[in-house]
Amino acid sequence: MIEPAEAVQRAQAGDAEAWGEIYRQFAGAIFRFCRRALPTREDAEDATTEIFMKVREKIGQYDPSRSFSAWLYKVSANHCWDILRRRKGRQDKETEDVAELPLAHPAPGQLERLIEQSTSEQVRGALGRLNPRARMALVLRYYSEMNYDEIAEALGVPRGYVGVVLLRARHELRQALERPEALAAGGTR
Amino acid sequence: MTEHLDEMACLLYQEGQMERARAREVSAHTEECADCRELLRALGSETKLLKRAMIEEDEPLPERLAALPGRSGPPLPWIWGAVLGLAATGVYGLYSGYLEPVMGRLDEIGFGGSDVISMLIFQGAFWKGWQSMISLIQILAMATMAGTAALFARRWLRRPRAMAVVLSSFCVLLALPGGAGAQETHLRVVGQHAYQRQIYTLQKDEIVKNDLYVVAGRVRIDGTIDGDLVAAGESVDVDGTVTGDVIAFTKNLRVKGKVDGSVRVFASSLVLSGPVGRNVTSFTEVFDQDAGSQIKGGVTAFTDSLSLDGKTGRDVLAYAKQTTLTGLIGGNLKLKGRSLSIASTAQVQGSSEFTGKEKAEVSPEAKLGSPLVYKEYKEEPRRWASHHYGFQIFWTLGKMLFGLALFLLLPEFARQTTGAAGRYGESFGVGLLMLIGVPIAVGIACVTMIGIPLGIAAFFLWLAMMYCAQIAVGAIVGGWILGEAPAGDVWALAARMALGVVVIRIVFYVPHAGGLARLAVILWGMGAIALAVYKRFQRGTPVLPSAPAAQPA
Repeated sequence: MIEPAEAVQRAQAGDAEAWGEIYRQFAGAIFRFCRRALPTREDAEDATTEIFMKVREKIGQYDPSRSFSAWLYKVSANHCWDILRRRKGRQDKETEDVAELPLAHPAPGQLERLIEQSTSEQVRGALGRLNPRARMALVLRYYSEMNYDEIAEALGVPRGYVGVVLLRARHELRQALERPEALAAGGTR
Repeated sequence: MTEHLDEMACLLYQEGQMERARAREVSAHTEECADCRELLRALGSETKLLKRAMIEEDEPLPERLAALPGRSGPPLPWIWGAVLGLAATGVYGLYSGYLEPVMGRLDEIGFGGSDVISMLIFQGAFWKGWQSMISLIQILAMATMAGTAALFARRWLRRPRAMAVVLSSFCVLLALPGGAGAQETHLRVVGQHAYQRQIYTLQKDEIVKNDLYVVAGRVRIDGTIDGDLVAAGESVDVDGTVTGDVIAFTKNLRVKGKVDGSVRVFASSLVLSGPVGRNVTSFTEVFDQDAGSQIKGGVTAFTDSLSLDGKTGRDVLAYAKQTTLTGLIGGNLKLKGRSLSIASTAQVQGSSEFTGKEKAEVSPEAKLGSPLVYKEYKEEPRRWASHHYGFQIFWTLGKMLFGLALFLLLPEFARQTTGAAGRYGESFGVGLLMLIGVPIAVGIACVTMIGIPLGIAAFFLWLAMMYCAQIAVGAIVGGWILGEAPAGDVWALAARMALGVVVIRIVFYVPHAGGLARLAVILWGMGAIALAVYKRFQRGTPVLPSAPAAQPA
């Protein structure tokens, strides 16, 4: 097995075997990323394929002094967000209106109970019912572990707005966990 | 501090996104305030739950992603096999249903052995299968509608499947029997009249006060047309009067009547017996001007056999194998061809010049304004060959420079195109569709006035793609020789392209195989370009960032 850094270096030089190793190492993670970010499994499969084709074409632009996985997630984030943006229509208009509503301060005990009662599966189900930007923000932050600057760049929002986006996304998620039917129409599934 | 912290402050604190001074305040507050401490803890639990839910490997990697994408292209290769198969079926259907009958008729009407242009010009005009073509256009329109529907339904229909559905529909519809009127001649007259007969006759006492466009098996004009006559048919006879021009696409055009304007004809034979007010332009096999005919203007003729027995007011310019002159020419005579015979009755008031293989036969009684200037036609094969090869080298260099400019200006697109060219099956399949489908689509678009600009634009794009095909394929061929270019190195890719273009153009000179290679390169390159363009339009071109400034949290 080739080390990731070495594989990337060799892939940049055109080594097909090294490229295969990169794919084997990261395909699962990128597919999960796409699966969390995009509405359907088919979308995620298509996007994964396209991302790796794009990465192969763009690998010469990667700066080896930086983290490869972080770069890979950025490429993936851009790709998925681009897909989601292309699908936005009336639905986004509605969610933008929702985003202007003030957020109620949560009761800490109630929030704690909700979290204790919720399973990972339920959270994934609820995630799929969020509006695209909320879902994307949560995925970028808690799956890809991007910092706020990177999220701001990926989503095209001001850096100071990232916290607001994340907080609203959490509120939407809680609502989806409490009342699964409430956001069903707002999601893209 | 008596007030509780708001949730945003807690989130930013918990995520380490708060300024140090403010974070110290929050920390101090949470030590004293149980509610805020509890909220902070709950947010932390929520974060952990979110991370756990996201990173859990709840689904295995799909089987179709287990294979490495790249040279083999996206999954579902069977789709492309189906696409190729369907396209081949479509091509066969077009050939056997439409092209073969046309070619069969060529022999029947004496055009056997003619080149393609002749076939298109002559045969197309009086082919009795226009109704079938109308049916084909209807079928294509249905296929277009099906494609549009598939486009709207693309979220549910995966793209390759949608394409396969459209192609299947196309082929199935193509296989349907033609309409009952397939063997009838379709007549379309734009203007005052519309007729549905094999023979169209404008009676002697009839007057058409407009331009007349007529398509029929036989066209006979005995009456008067106060405008232009545009006619297509097996034979066109003008015995009446046309005050405008006569434009004909036919096998035989006979003009015995009077034409006030010009005669422009694409035909097998032209026999001119009556007066013509202006000029004659003829693309024919035989052009006979009878003694009684008078052309007030000039004659421009591209023909096998030219016979000028009447009067021509101005210059005659002709490219004719055999020319016989017995009549009068009021201007200059300039001819190129094999032989020229000037009879005793001939008269040329201006200068006479003939370039040909055989020396002109000029009767001593012929009245020429100045002695005939004869120039022997020399093939000069060696000189021509050197010019030819010089031109080829110049052309190749031009293509390489053009490719280099493209690679430097659009490195990303070049990379995508060469990447797509590496997926042979897809590229050939799409190339075949592009090569055949685009001209058909352009034809359909041009049927409607609104679609004409779109059709023309698409046609020029199609030509540009055909021109660039060698560049795309050259990059791949160069890669075979020099090895794959390092990723991101545009110059290395351009060098491979240049080498590849040279190799391709050398291969083109191989007898027989060169022609096939040309076709293959066009299909392959056009397909690759189309795929790259499709990718860009399909998913857009998100700006790829460089590596992140900081490691992810």
